[in-house]
Amino acid sequence: MGRNERDISMKKCGILFLAIVTGIVISFFVPAAENIFLGKGVVYAQADWKAEFEDICSKTQDAMSFTVVELRSLIERADKLKPLIQKLDETERKVYLKRLQMCRDLFVFALGEKEKK
Amino acid sequence: MKKVLLMALVVLVFAGLTSAATGVKKKRPLPEDYGKEIIDNYSDKAGLPAVVFDHWLHRSNFTCRLCHVDIGFAMKVGGTGIRAADNIKGYYCGTCHNGKMVFDNRKVFESCARRLSDEDNRPCNRCHSLGMRVKKEHEFAKLTEKFPKERFGNGVDWEKAEDEGRIRLVDSIEGVSIKRKPLTIQKDFNLAAKVQGMPEIIFSHKKHTVWSGCELCHPEIFVGVKKGTTKYSMVEIFDGKYCGVCHGTVAFPLLDCQRCHTKPVQ
Repeated sequence: MGRNERDISMKKCGILFLAIVTGIVISFFVPAAENIFLGKGVVYAQADWKAEFEDICSKTQDAMSFTVVELRSLIERADKLKPLIQKLDETERKVYLKRLQMCRDLFVFALGEKEKK
Repeated sequence: MKKVLLMALVVLVFAGLTSAATGVKKKRPLPEDYGKEIIDNYSDKAGLPAVVFDHWLHRSNFTCRLCHVDIGFAMKVGGTGIRAADNIKGYYCGTCHNGKMVFDNRKVFESCARRLSDEDNRPCNRCHSLGMRVKKEHEFAKLTEKFPKERFGNGVDWEKAEDEGRIRLVDSIEGVSIKRKPLTIQKDFNLAAKVQGMPEIIFSHKKHTVWSGCELCHPEIFVGVKKGTTKYSMVEIFDGKYCGVCHGTVAFPLLDCQRCHTKPVQ
C-alpha cells in the first residue's frame, strides 16, 4: 500500500471514528436523537398524546354547535388516541382513558342529536 | 296457659311493630353528614379504616366538573378504585392533596405518604377515619354559619351562597384542567309531570352546566337525545337514576319537590 493510499485509508478511519463518537455523544445529550439511535421513536410519539388529548377534549364546550363532519372527525381522533393512552402506566392510563371516554361519549351524544334532526 | 298465650301475643305484636319501625324507612342524615361517602375499595385490605369523604367541604370550594371530569372521579362511590399509589403519583385525591398545593393561603395536606411509620400513620386518619374520632380541621356549623339556609340536605342553599359571593367555586387546576372556551348555555325546558295536578318541572341547563359542564351528565346519566325520548319516573329517580344520581346524594334532595316542580298547573 502506497503512502497516499495509507493516508487516505487513515483519514477514512478517522472520519468513521469521529462519526461514531459524535453519534454516541449526541445520543446522550439530545433527546430526539437519543430516541432515534436507541429505537425509542415511540416515546417521542407518546409525548404528543397529551397535546392531542387536550386538543380533542378542549372542544367539549362546543359539542352541540359542531357539524356532523366535525363531530365524526373528533370521534375518530379520540379512537386513534386511545391505543396510545393504553400504553401509559396504570394510573395515567386509568385517568386519561376515562377522561377521553367522557369527551368521546359527549361527541357521540351530540352527533346523535344532529343525525336525528 | 291463657297467660302464656297472651304473653306470646304481646311479644309478637311488639316484634311486629319494631320491625315495621326499622323496616325500609331511611333515616334523614344530619346536615353535615349529607353527601358523606364511605370509600372502601382497598382500605380494609391495607389494614386501614375506610375513607370518609365529606362532599360539603369540597363542593363549597370546587365545581362538580373539576373533580368528576378533569380529575376523573367516578359518579358512583367506589367506582374510581383509588389507590394510595395513584394519590402519591399526583392523581385523584393526590391532585390537590400533595403537600405542595396552596389553597386558601394554606398548604393542602398530603393524602398518602410513601413510607409509613407510627408517627406517619396519623395523616392517614384524616381521611381513613371511619369509626374513629378524628378532630376535623373544618367544622360544618362554623363554616356554613352565614350561608343562606334551605330545608333539606346540607341545610344550605349552595346556589344562593354562590350568588351572594359567600362561596367562589374553583373550576380549573393548572396542569390538570384543559383550557376551554366559555360554555354556550343550552336552553331551559319543561318536563310534564305524570301525576295529574303536579306542577311541571322547569329544567335549568344554566344552573347545572355552570357547575357540571356537559360531559358530566351526557350521556352517562342522561342518554336520550331528543326531548321526550327517555321517560323518567320518580321511582327510578328515587332509586338513584337520572336526577337521583346527584339529587339525593350531594345536591338538594328529592324531598324538596317544589325546587323542581315549579311551573304552576294551568
